[in-house]
This record gives sequence, C-alpha cells and structure tokens, in this order.
Amino acid sequence: MSTATGYNFAYLDEQSKRMIRRAILKAVAIPGYQVPFGGREMPLPHGWGTGGMQVTASVIGEADRLKVIDQGADDTTNAVSIRRFFATTAGVETTESTAAASLIQTRHRIPETPLQADQILIYQVPIPEPLRFIEPRETETRKMHALSEYGAMQVKLYEDVARFGHIATSYDYPVMVNNRYMMDPSPIPKFDNPKMNRMPALQLFGAGFEKRIYAVPPYTEVKSLDFDDYPFEVQRWDENCAICGSDHSFLDEVIIDDAGSKMFVCSDTDYCRSRQTNATESATATEETLS
Amino acid sequence: MAVLTPTVNSNALIAGFDDPVQHGQQVFRALLKAMSEPGTLIELELNLATPGLLNNSTWQTLLSLLDADTQLWLSPRLNSDERVTSNLRFHCQSPIIDGSKAADFAVALADELPVLRDLNWGTSEYPDRSTTLIVQVPALSDEPHWELTGPGIESRKTARIAGLSEEFRLALINSRKRFPLGVDCIFCCGSKLLALPRSTQIREMRPEEGEA
Repeated sequence: MSTATGYNFAYLDEQSKRMIRRAILKAVAIPGYQVPFGGREMPLPHGWGTGGMQVTASVIGEADRLKVIDQGADDTTNAVSIRRFFATTAGVETTESTAAASLIQTRHRIPETPLQADQILIYQVPIPEPLRFIEPRETETRKMHALSEYGAMQVKLYEDVARFGHIATSYDYPVMVNNRYMMDPSPIPKFDNPKMNRMPALQLFGAGFEKRIYAVPPYTEVKSLDFDDYPFEVQRWDENCAICGSDHSFLDEVIIDDAGSKMFVCSDTDYCRSRQTNATESATATEETLS
Repeated sequence: MAVLTPTVNSNALIAGFDDPVQHGQQVFRALLKAMSEPGTLIELELNLATPGLLNNSTWQTLLSLLDADTQLWLSPRLNSDERVTSNLRFHCQSPIIDGSKAADFAVALADELPVLRDLNWGTSEYPDRSTTLIVQVPALSDEPHWELTGPGIESRKTARIAGLSEEFRLALINSRKRFPLGVDCIFCCGSKLLALPRSTQIREMRPEEGEA
C-alpha cells in the first residue's frame, strides 16, 4: 500500500490519468506520431523527467515492479528520487534488476539486458520533435510529418558527412518508425538505436515540457536514418569495462585522479553488477569442482 | 451535431467499479495490451453487473476511458435503452451526441454499425483526433478468418470477429490505405476484447487457408 496519505494513487488525479491514458492509446495506434496531451505540474522541475513520470503514473498499478534508470544507473539522484516518489505515492515494489521489472522508466539509455514481451519501457523526453532544430515552427513540422517530408533531415546528416567525413550525430539519432513517422528516440546514444527495432517490449515516450506522448508498439520496425554509402554505425570502444570486463556494452569514461588518468566502466549498473555476480559464482563453482 | 440530454432514471442505476482507481487502472492496462498487441484476445478479470444491452467488457472499457471530456455516440438501440444512457450519464458524465462525426468514442452493436466514413478519421496534421469505435459482437476468436500483420504483431495473427456486415468489413480493410488517418476499433464480447488499431493490416483469408 501507498505510504503517503492525502495523495491519490501514483500522485495524479484520476481525470488527468484518463486523459493521459487516452493519449497513450492513440500514440500506440499511430506508431511514432506525437500526441499532444494536457501536461500536468509534477512536484519537480521540468527537465527532471516530468513527462516520463506522468506516463508512469498513468500506467502503473499495484501489481507492477518499477525500475528507474538515469544514464543507465539506478543510483543517481534523478533515478533515486523518481523511484522513491512512486514507492511513496503508489506503494509499488521497486527493483534494480532489468529482468525483474515490469515497468522501466529511463533517462537516456536502453538497458543492455534485452527486454521481454509484457515489459514497458518509458522514456523521459526533453525535445520530442526531431525536426525542431531544422524548422522551429510547430505548424510547419506538423505539415512535414503529415506529408512525410523528411528530406531536410537527410540534408543535415549529409552536411555531417561533407564536413567530418562521417555522420557525427552520436545521440538523439533520428529514426523512422514503421516506415512512416520520423521519431526522436530521446537522447539515448545511437549505440542503443538498434535495440529499439522489433523490441518485444512496449516503448512509451513522455515529454513534459512540450506535452507530447508517443509510442512504439512491440515488434515494430525502427530504422536509423542513413545513406547507402554511409550506413548507420554505432560507437565502438578499444577498452573493456574496468569492472566486469564487458567488451560489448556502452561504456562511460570516468576521470579518476588529478593527473587525468581514466577508466572505462559500463553505463548500465545493473548489467555490470550481474556480470560480476555471475563471474564470482562461476569462479566459486570452478574452485569447488577442483577441490 | 447536438448534445442529447437523456434524463437519468435513478431506478436504472447500477454500481460501477468497486475500486475506481485500481480497477480503472487494471482495465486500462488490459486495453493497452490489446491496442499494442493487435489481435490478441484479452479476458478481463473483473465481472461487473452491466447496464441493459452493454456487455461486461464494453461497460468496463467505457468506465475506464470516458469522462466529461469525451463526446460519446451510441448506436440507435443503445441510445434508446434507458439503462445504458442513465448509467453512462451518471458514471462517466460524457456528453452523448447525435452525430457520429464529432464523437471521440462511438459504441455500437454489431448489427447497427455506423458507416465507417461517418466517424472521425482525424486530420493529416492531427490523426489522433479521431473516433475510437467500440463494437459489441456476438463472438470473438483467433480462428483463421482474418490475417493480421503490422506493428505489435511478431509475424502474423489470425482473428474471427462475428457479426460484422460485408460493407463494414470491406470499409475497415480499405481504410488502411488512408493511414495515418483512420478509426481504432475495440471489439467486445462477454468479458473478452480484441483491438484493431488503424496500423494493423487485415487480409481476408480464403476458406481453404483455414485448414492449414
């Protein structure tokens, strides 16, 4: 049960939840299209995940188990505050394990552990409109989406190629959903883009500032934009994770002293920890077999 | 379009959800699963007493999604059933209107479906401003009659939705060409429901395909 008194379940009032729920259903029916909704004030500032929180508050129920990550980590301020907020106002169970969560609210990462059917991934989105930096007028971007007029974005990527010799966009990398709508995947690194394609879990996106909700249903085609001669590529590292040794996960560069020494570690803390646990267990098992 | 104001007959009123917050959320999650995995048969857990001609899944869908902000259109027999209109007015406060074109939600019995193009399909700038059509049908199953493909479906699914007229079936299948415009449908039968959002492609299977 919820431990906070004087609040509705999961903070939002029922009429706001119903309005957001109707917007979510329309968003799911039109994959990648941004549905405007009546954004509510949440008890933390815009830019701290109010859009994602409103989606979570409308979707969450007593049977859910919630995980919240910020840049892959369960233990950063934003993640801890949001997890505690829902533990207090909704009384739901929380977890740090990707596999054990039914709902995952995320800021800027997709977990390394592949998501399963019936899980829901909720993204916090700062700027939902992929074309906004190319065309500032909402009336125009609406028309561009209506007409599938996306040449301007290809030009932007081409300018990267002309200037740097490769597509320099490394996060917030635009995708086409179901071959119809161009979508901003929120500022996840482009490393995570391929995970969105035909993901078995439902993906919901909430932008609190701009009051937009959009969605990618399970098993939906999500394609990162590219060119025939400059195909889409993800980041690669020469290093392995300094803690778990992973050579295939997204790594954060951490400065560890005043001399500028650095180490690379997994950005997904749950993934890194579970790899360490597995390594310790198999080492113990080997020792037992030998002795 | 005019807002109809049927009187609420208090003798016709029945109880809604015992726990509106939790039950409303549970039914929404069932609807979210139905809409994000088109063609999946969902069985609602709750069994409520239902008003008049409405069945369990239609009634719960309306209780969880409707409020004073949603304009509602009812097919003729539902609209003349005092138990239906009284309870919808009392529990949901939705304005009931006489023109289906302006409806956010339209509820119809399978044998008196509105003409699909008389519903709101949205505009190309705002395709979300469209009608959600809730149809009460005599039977729902996953028998091979319609082959469904599209977002939310891993490879393909099959469904049989009984009681739809030939005209409506063709109109629904053809409406897919107008994507992203269109109408999202929820088919309800007893405690079961199945959703077909506009993104789902429908192909009528030939009888001999059914045996394979």
